[in-house]
Amino acid sequence: MNDTGKAKRPLSRREFFKMAGIGTGAAVAASSLQPAKVANAAAAPYVDPAGRPARPWWVKTVDQPTTEIDWAKMKRYSERYIEEEDSGTVRGDGFAGYLGAEEAERLIKQGNDKMKQRLVDNVDGYTLKDHAMSAGQSATSVARSFLGPQKAKTPEERGVAKWSGTPAEGARILRTALRHMGASTIGFVELDENTRKLIYSIDPDGKILEFTDDPIASETETHRYIPNSCKYVIVYTVQMSEEAMKRSPTMTASQTTTGAYSRGAQIAAGTQEFLRTLGYQGLSEASTNALGIAPAFGVLAGLGEMSRLNRMITPEFGPMVRVFKMLTDLPVEPDKPINAGIMDFCRSCKKCAEACPSGALSFESEPYWETKGGWNNAGHKAWFEDATKCRTYWVSEAGTNCGICFGVCPFSKKDKAWIHEWVKAGTSAAPFLASFFRSMDDAFGYGVQKSGEDWWNLDQPEYGVDSMSVVKG
Amino acid sequence: MKTYTIQVLKRPWYEWVLWAVWFLVELFVLQNAIASGAELEPRAASIFWMTFVVLLLGGGIVWFVRRARLAK
Repeated sequence: MNDTGKAKRPLSRREFFKMAGIGTGAAVAASSLQPAKVANAAAAPYVDPAGRPARPWWVKTVDQPTTEIDWAKMKRYSERYIEEEDSGTVRGDGFAGYLGAEEAERLIKQGNDKMKQRLVDNVDGYTLKDHAMSAGQSATSVARSFLGPQKAKTPEERGVAKWSGTPAEGARILRTALRHMGASTIGFVELDENTRKLIYSIDPDGKILEFTDDPIASETETHRYIPNSCKYVIVYTVQMSEEAMKRSPTMTASQTTTGAYSRGAQIAAGTQEFLRTLGYQGLSEASTNALGIAPAFGVLAGLGEMSRLNRMITPEFGPMVRVFKMLTDLPVEPDKPINAGIMDFCRSCKKCAEACPSGALSFESEPYWETKGGWNNAGHKAWFEDATKCRTYWVSEAGTNCGICFGVCPFSKKDKAWIHEWVKAGTSAAPFLASFFRSMDDAFGYGVQKSGEDWWNLDQPEYGVDSMSVVKG
Repeated sequence: MKTYTIQVLKRPWYEWVLWAVWFLVELFVLQNAIASGAELEPRAASIFWMTFVVLLLGGGIVWFVRRARLAK
């Protein structure tokens, strides 16, 4: 009579508690499946005295960056095509220097003609409203300046002593201020005889950057003088919209780059005034990507690792950030580099190199010392890119900047699905799975170019980015 | 006097562990299916939904097969 009790009957108290126990156990176990990530929807006090965010276990702090550096071979660098003349960088007027003025002009005209035709033909991502969006983003930028607006009252003008605190407190208030002004992640580097080499010798606009014993920074027609006391580098990232960048190369995608640069400039001006009010100096980029090598400082500040893109990839947002830096004499506690398995993953992935329409990115498995041209700085191992090929594609084919390599990168993910954090953790803890993860990334359809027209139908958060998606431990 | 033998057949403890694992995997796959849709990744969402349904059906079949065997 083993079917006793099979008839429908209400749950006994014992059964009820048994089921409840199983359910509770399952719920607790399920909660442990969730990645170590908490949206900071509600502000919480810092745990770290310097305000460093707690990161997941797979983002390890290390003494040396995953990029091999030979400081003896490195020297302060100018990425201008010809240092002495007004010829600019490979991204600007220097492009003509590398290719020849006639060829550069021909390519630029070719690109302009294509852009015009796409506009006339209403091509997806190049329509009038896409152009309008791009123009709108450009208009939001504030003027960049080495010395800053200098409008805020100093402590002296306010009749008080300048702010003072420990380096950890300095770092903490800067993190709070910059994050509130729109920075995504913030880190600090202290300049020494080595890291000083990452400050350009000549800015992209041709002015010489010179360190001086004068405690006050200044600027002339030919020089920008950096006080030796301004030995702390504030490095910060500004998110780009992943949803927009996955439309690369179109105006839809390029506008988020423009927007991130604009926000970076606003944060710079704001931080300069913040520091001035505290009684300190903030020396910023006088033009886009000026002052120093942004990815290098980002890596040293622990914001990310170098990658096959020859750009920094962050654990939080992948490559979907722009990196900015500023010098200050406010003492701050420096950060250490990280190892999240990103550079290791790049060794075998190569998805960006395969997707690059210009063939500018390297297919070599291991990074190398030899640079590809004057746009690279020697003294570290990297997958140096052929910037002239990249730029040629921009000006002659895309007609706008191209971010295909950013869009296809397996680290370019939103943070909603748990699988992404698991894969990132796996990448760090089990590098031998890199090829498998890359294959799965393809199989799941990540990195496929999306429609520019569809972008206009999306209900998006402010700036098109999730500002709550900071990874926490 | 009539006697009855009552045979109590219970699922062994390790089977409950396996069901718990199945449940957690289902939960993980379901979360990824829903979140992939929210992330506007249609292919990833489809794969996760298919996996979820296959695991759900598979689990249901195994549950009833085991239940029938235990009831014999």
